[in-house]
Amino acid sequence: MVAHPAAKDEHPAFSGTGEMGNLIRRFDWSKTPLGPISDWPQSLRTVTGMLLLSPVPIVVLWGADGIMIYNDAYSVFAGERHPQLLGSKVREGWEEVADFNDNVMKICMAGGVLSYENQKLTLVRHGEPEPVWMNLDYSPVLDESGEPAGVIAIVVETTKSVLGQRRLRESEGRFRALTNATSDVVYSMSADWKEMRQLDGRGFLANTESPRIAWQELYLFPEDREYIQSVIDEAIRTKSVFQLEHRVRRADGTVGWTSSRAVPIFDESGRIVEWFGAASDITQRRQNEEHLKLVVHELNHRVKNNLAMIQAIAMQTFRKNTDLKDAQMRFSARIVALGQANDLLTGERWAGASLRGAVEQAVRPHCPEKDRCVIEGDDVTLSAKTALALTLAMHEMATNALKYGAWSNSSGKVSVSWSTYLKDGAKRLRIEWREEGGPSVRPPDQRGFGSALIERGLAREVGGEAKMEFLPDGFVCRIDASESVYASR
Amino acid sequence: MTLRILVVEDEMTISLLVEDMLTELGHEVVDLAMRLKQAEEMAATFDIDLAILDVNLDGHKSFPVADILAARGIPFVFATGYGAAGIDPGYQQWPVITKPFLIDDLRRAVELLAPPPAAA
Repeated sequence: MVAHPAAKDEHPAFSGTGEMGNLIRRFDWSKTPLGPISDWPQSLRTVTGMLLLSPVPIVVLWGADGIMIYNDAYSVFAGERHPQLLGSKVREGWEEVADFNDNVMKICMAGGVLSYENQKLTLVRHGEPEPVWMNLDYSPVLDESGEPAGVIAIVVETTKSVLGQRRLRESEGRFRALTNATSDVVYSMSADWKEMRQLDGRGFLANTESPRIAWQELYLFPEDREYIQSVIDEAIRTKSVFQLEHRVRRADGTVGWTSSRAVPIFDESGRIVEWFGAASDITQRRQNEEHLKLVVHELNHRVKNNLAMIQAIAMQTFRKNTDLKDAQMRFSARIVALGQANDLLTGERWAGASLRGAVEQAVRPHCPEKDRCVIEGDDVTLSAKTALALTLAMHEMATNALKYGAWSNSSGKVSVSWSTYLKDGAKRLRIEWREEGGPSVRPPDQRGFGSALIERGLAREVGGEAKMEFLPDGFVCRIDASESVYASR
Repeated sequence: MTLRILVVEDEMTISLLVEDMLTELGHEVVDLAMRLKQAEEMAATFDIDLAILDVNLDGHKSFPVADILAARGIPFVFATGYGAAGIDPGYQQWPVITKPFLIDDLRRAVELLAPPPAAA
């Protein structure tokens, strides 16, 4: 900056300290349309003196060209353009916003005023176009003749606060998106939890849109309230997270379960101002747990029952056999048959089992050749219990056939057939086990487990009869079952 | 003393076991019911001193049978894989034996309800 000797403090035309006061006084204004300061009209001197005293960024755009005179605060805003900007034409000094300033000059030089709040402009800063926001106030400066001779502009950059607010909005938006993205119920509570301020129920719970005092009546069941309140009191007392799985009254009035967690929000002095919470719907999980408990209970019962069955089989097998080795073999085979029957039932989830499946499973493994075993009948679904009993009985008959009956020679056959028939309107089931082609048969001297199982057990199980006949041509067992043997589900 | 006993048990092999155990203890098994309806009919009409009741009869609880017996003044023992926890609150004065059980468990439960003359 070359100081003009003529301007050197000879004209106390305006007071004003700071860098700009000195710069303006020393500037060679003779090269501008304004001419040397000594020639300036009083109006320009007055406005220059005024802006130099102001801490607010102010610029005067004088004459039709808008020659720029500004203060220290404005020089900060001008950045790297300062000090070259001083004395330049506004449309050239701010080339990138020349159109904007052209409009300002036209309006204000015609006596108008302009005011912009958070006006966005793109200014070149550090060599790069950059968006900035400003509060801009323009008004004309009248000369001695009372006509507009220049424009005074108060220029306050608001970029920081605009961006700050924008970040805050974005942050709020993200927060809203987060609370919308989660399927959790979101709620807020007063510091003492006496008032629910808001709850977004997500269809799980009823909404609370304005503060509600009686929220416990709405959401909690009377018998749960004392305990839940004690957990709330503890969280308030220790200023720590509230966390609890508890029952809730759902939006449809039914009982549900929620996993609720709320954090305290503190003021500067560390006092709780409110609580912010999220509660997820764990009703299904709770129901599953309850169901699992039932299943485990039922499983325990079945295990006990199975142990009792094994006990029964052991007692029957070992009491009547004097040959220990034979008894052990029979016992093992019976346990295996019981195990396989369980598989058959588990496959049908204990709802019932196929008669054909049960027969096939009990009989086939013992059959010496494929064509020495004939299984005939339209399949029916039996209750799980009947299928199990029938499997055990068939196992007994199959092992007997192998040892003494039709399968003990090289050509005998076993046929298992069944059919349903109506009697007094009830659909009964007849099953026949028939052996032929085996060695000649005579009734056994002693009745074993198989006989007891069939004649005493199976007959009752099927609610009918089970008759064993040791005919000369071969062993025959006829089972006449009542309607009760079919699966009810 | 020979007691006339009704056995209600839906599992075939177990029913044979209970029957054999009771016979061995010197009692007479009058009959064996495997279904609820059948058990109710027998409980209502049979001339018996005592009953052994399985709790779960093919998915149905046997408590209605217990009610019929109690109304007739006939004592009974519950035999169940659920244990005492599987007995409804109204029936907790009756002895429970948990499956599987020993012949002595059965004997003690029966004697609790029908003490032998020597011990009475």
